[in-house]
Amino acid sequence: MTPERFSSQLARFFGDDARFTDKGGAQWELRVPRDRCLPLLSFLRDHSFVHLAFISAVDWPRDQEIELVYHVWSYEHRVHVLVKTRTEREKAWMFTAHRLWGQAQAYEQEIHEMMGVFFLGNPDLSPLFLHNWHDRPPLRKDFDPKAYSLKAYTLAGLGLAPEQKEDGDVPS
Amino acid sequence: MYLPDGYTTLEKLREAGEYADYDLFFGPNHPGMHGNFGYVLTMIGTEVVRVRPNAGQLHRGFEKAMENKAWAANVSLIPRVCVPDPDPNEVAYCQAVEKLLGCEVPIRGRWMRSITLELSRLGSLYMGMGGLAGALGHYSTMYLMMIERDLILDRFEALTGARVYHIYNVPGGVRNDAPEGWFDSVSRLLDHLEAQMPEYDRLLYENHVVWDRLQGMAPITAEEAMASGVTGPALRATGVKADIRVDAPYAAYPEIQVDIPTSGGGDALARAVQVRLDFAESVRILRRLLARIPDGPVHADLGNLAKLKVPAGDAYSKVESSKGEFGYYVVSDGGEKPYRVSVRGPSLPAGLYLCHKHLPGMKIDDVAAWMASFAICPPDIDR
Repeated sequence: MTPERFSSQLARFFGDDARFTDKGGAQWELRVPRDRCLPLLSFLRDHSFVHLAFISAVDWPRDQEIELVYHVWSYEHRVHVLVKTRTEREKAWMFTAHRLWGQAQAYEQEIHEMMGVFFLGNPDLSPLFLHNWHDRPPLRKDFDPKAYSLKAYTLAGLGLAPEQKEDGDVPS
Repeated sequence: MYLPDGYTTLEKLREAGEYADYDLFFGPNHPGMHGNFGYVLTMIGTEVVRVRPNAGQLHRGFEKAMENKAWAANVSLIPRVCVPDPDPNEVAYCQAVEKLLGCEVPIRGRWMRSITLELSRLGSLYMGMGGLAGALGHYSTMYLMMIERDLILDRFEALTGARVYHIYNVPGGVRNDAPEGWFDSVSRLLDHLEAQMPEYDRLLYENHVVWDRLQGMAPITAEEAMASGVTGPALRATGVKADIRVDAPYAAYPEIQVDIPTSGGGDALARAVQVRLDFAESVRILRRLLARIPDGPVHADLGNLAKLKVPAGDAYSKVESSKGEFGYYVVSDGGEKPYRVSVRGPSLPAGLYLCHKHLPGMKIDDVAAWMASFAICPPDIDR
């Protein structure tokens, strides 16, 4: 399948909603608004792009948005497509893709935990990796691992440091 | 667990027609587990009823740590995403960076990449076959295969100075050329491995116990495998001719003949046989690579790598590892550090998704063999 043929087919179904870019090296990029993302993924899956490699999320605090990138691959055409969609950063949410690809459930569970994106319809968004986590999602850009470590893993940060005493009071 | 009044022992529950289930922590401290990962198995007797993956015990926050390190410094972090097969990670990351830089790797550098990738694959396949043997109780086979793997690690030590994490690739090529006589030593190693292989075949593949245990276990169809994101040997074992070395060739593979042997069948036995076929193919590819090594530099000149700046943009690069597709999605904002690095590991589809389909109904003694047959490597789930 040539990029031209694919983009013309795409335009027939999605009009101006899906913006197509050929990134070279058999990689195409598609940008869609959130509400057209699942129909587009479904369209791709029905057009031989059956392999969902993974889903990644990128935080863009400058735009106050989080970008979700779905990586799909066609064994038939040997083309890798990056489907990009954006959601607002505060109360970020997206529709689940787990009815299209079962393993998307696990990727979404991870993104929910690490990036704080809620996936509407995902059956299990319970924490997978983090234990008793009460801070902001750790892969967001405004999470500072060093400050967190100083707070969570030092005696002073935990409020357990022995009180400073005068020199004379140090027990021998 | 809920217990009806008056019944406290299993015997009484059984008499009353009630079953008793219990939670078994299969890992992280279990002899059948391949790392700091675990399944919480809800069991009745010796049969699995429900499974809950218990990940996170190996999570080191690589993706976050990579955002705080210079582009080239990340190469020292990346091999740790997969312990037995580290080189695909380095190559996938470096290729993504090179794509953003628009830099071309010299031909000898690409050749060195392919040779180290195949050696790493052999080492990992030995570990995979040995792990499968160990999961089935054949510990001698496992230890014998570890000896062969150690010989491969010796060659890595001679080339890079490191045995397990080689940190051999850098953006633009590989760190150094091979020392005098290294290619010959690899050639002699391949002769030795091929001479030894019939013995391992007798131990593992011509073994009735292995066949009886693996035949018909956890079968998947080609469609199911493709739709579940299964890649590598597990996908080829269903009869699909798919290999990134052929479908989206990188390093020296565009110039080298790569065949895709498939075992077909889709069960655990087919996956085990597929690993053996991949092994033989890998040895053949190494021989082809060693037969014509081009001359020239091994890396492109990118200036001071510690101060490397990468133009803004994003790139995805993938490599066929011994377990399947390893991919790196790299985003740059034009700075001296990556803006975001996202890792695609080959173990997640089976380790976190297919486990819900395959493990319920399985006996406890088959769980370790199931994990080994899918080559589930927890570090790339937990990265």
